[in-house]
Amino acid sequence: MIFEQLSGNLLQGVILGGVYGMATMGLSLIFGVLKVVNVGHGAFIMVGAYVALILFQTLGIAPPLAVPVALILGMALGMLFYYTAIKKLLKGPELASLLATFSIGVILEEVCKQLFTSEARGYHWGLDKLDLGFTVLPYSKLIAFGGSILVGLLLYLWFHKTRAGMAMRSVVEDDEGAGVCGINVDWEYALSFSIGIGLTVVSGVLLTMFIPVGINPYMGGSYTLKAFVIAVLGGLASPYGAFFGGLVFGLIENGSYTLFAQIPGLEPFAMTRFFSFVMLLVILLIRPTGLLRTK
Amino acid sequence: MMRHLQKYSPILPVLLAYGVLLGIGLAYPGKWQLIAQLAFYCALGQAFNLFMGMTGYVDFGYVAFLGVGTYGMAVSIYFLYDKGLGIGLIFIGLALAAVFSTGLSLAVGAVALRLRGAYFAIATIGVNEGFRYFVEGARIWNGADGMIFSRHLRKAVGRETAMTLSTQWADILVFGVAVLAAILTLVYMRNKVGYALTALREDEDAAKVMGINVTKFKIIAFITSAVLAGLLGASAWALKLTYVYPEDVFEIHYTVEAIIIVLLGGAGTLLGPIVGALIYGASKYFLAIVLPGFQLLIFAPIIIVIIVLFPEGTVGILKKKIRGTALEKFII
Repeated sequence: MIFEQLSGNLLQGVILGGVYGMATMGLSLIFGVLKVVNVGHGAFIMVGAYVALILFQTLGIAPPLAVPVALILGMALGMLFYYTAIKKLLKGPELASLLATFSIGVILEEVCKQLFTSEARGYHWGLDKLDLGFTVLPYSKLIAFGGSILVGLLLYLWFHKTRAGMAMRSVVEDDEGAGVCGINVDWEYALSFSIGIGLTVVSGVLLTMFIPVGINPYMGGSYTLKAFVIAVLGGLASPYGAFFGGLVFGLIENGSYTLFAQIPGLEPFAMTRFFSFVMLLVILLIRPTGLLRTK
Repeated sequence: MMRHLQKYSPILPVLLAYGVLLGIGLAYPGKWQLIAQLAFYCALGQAFNLFMGMTGYVDFGYVAFLGVGTYGMAVSIYFLYDKGLGIGLIFIGLALAAVFSTGLSLAVGAVALRLRGAYFAIATIGVNEGFRYFVEGARIWNGADGMIFSRHLRKAVGRETAMTLSTQWADILVFGVAVLAAILTLVYMRNKVGYALTALREDEDAAKVMGINVTKFKIIAFITSAVLAGLLGASAWALKLTYVYPEDVFEIHYTVEAIIIVLLGGAGTLLGPIVGALIYGASKYFLAIVLPGFQLLIFAPIIIVIIVLFPEGTVGILKKKIRGTALEKFII
């Protein structure tokens, strides 16, 4: 009985984990290129969730079609924040960019609170479910999972097959050298920040398939924490590492939930969240460069 | 002797500020709540600044120390009220607050203080959430249901005393924490700890090469700052409100407030947190009347403006202006 439950939960974990991984790629991309930790990461996921919610509720647009809107909005927000704040802080102490991204997160939360109130909302897409016997998978979750893999693949192809992507990788390797070779380093910074934010907002759209009623302005905080766990699992600066980190995290999260639920007297939901925090500390303690990194 | 004392002359404007604040509060009882709130912000800023300002590390989970401090006082009153300790409960509560916050700061510090810059921020950002879910998940101290202990406090010390404790002494204690934080900041600044931390803030690798045990001094500042936060939580939240809920005391927006206060006033200065707290507290008070609900929306962009345009903060700029004048001895 418990094994059936566990295997069902683990499968759900892989599916959620894929989306988690995609939700962390933006964070890793921004850290990899700019060496800036986006402490307001979760707030951008929240923006994506509202994009999906509002488009679905007011215009009846299905969530996958909200993805391009989210990408454009996210990239625009990324450009806006890069040129108004981040650009001026890159040369300063780390403290400055941390505080700036933190404040950007607070601004987004407060703007959304004013626009949509702090009430938790949700929507129901109403797709069918796939019954596997030991567990039931809604097609909406499968679409979100497939979408995450597709985005990951596209990012990989962009990085490795296009000139623009290679230019960005050269900035990661050596920004001065790239500048000498005629690459506009400042533009690469702006572009990667904006792509990173764009990806994060898109992931917010996909994550709404997993949270039927949990969309609220302050939902981002727990995703920031999860994204950090995932990012350090996969090596903070690597977007693909983040993707696999997400899969691992999804497995651990759902697995530990099932196990905590077996222990009487515990709140499994809260304990799972506590556990992800402990995991973060443990990984940082033993291997801050990432568990999945071989080098 | 005189020369020795002169080192500590910057404490005078701090004491003057707190004295005036307390005086206004006592003279106008109708404004006591506002004064108490300002004193809370002063203490919060001073305590936060002791670590963040002196080391340049931001602890995004700082409010967790206030939270466990609140629980320290709560646990003491809730579980020991019938032991006939009377007013001694409060002292046990403060001691427990200090013990809890030291314990948490050691646990967090053991991991986080090994890490630099961005990794430190990542390690600390979940501390408040993590601890909140631990309390709720393992149902410690009633878990998510919180603890309400006004009845226990009344039984322990009597109705009258309980009343005075939460309406007056809690706020006086907050002043006490603020003064203690200021004194400790100045003592650190004028001694080895402060010099080492300044060296570390400017260039951690260089400081290490010069033979400074940076970890030791970081730990000292981290624990001190945490204990002050614990005492602040015990007095400003537990003793004053006589209840505690995990979702209230591990709320990240108090960390935001601490950051705003320190940046407004000037990180790493002695007088900065007071100036920042007064500016922030007073404007928040008026904004709450004029534009309720918009405070954070207004202050978050201000943080960005400050770090982009005036990273030294008010007192930092003032310090530059008065260089070479007699005031220099008093304002740091």
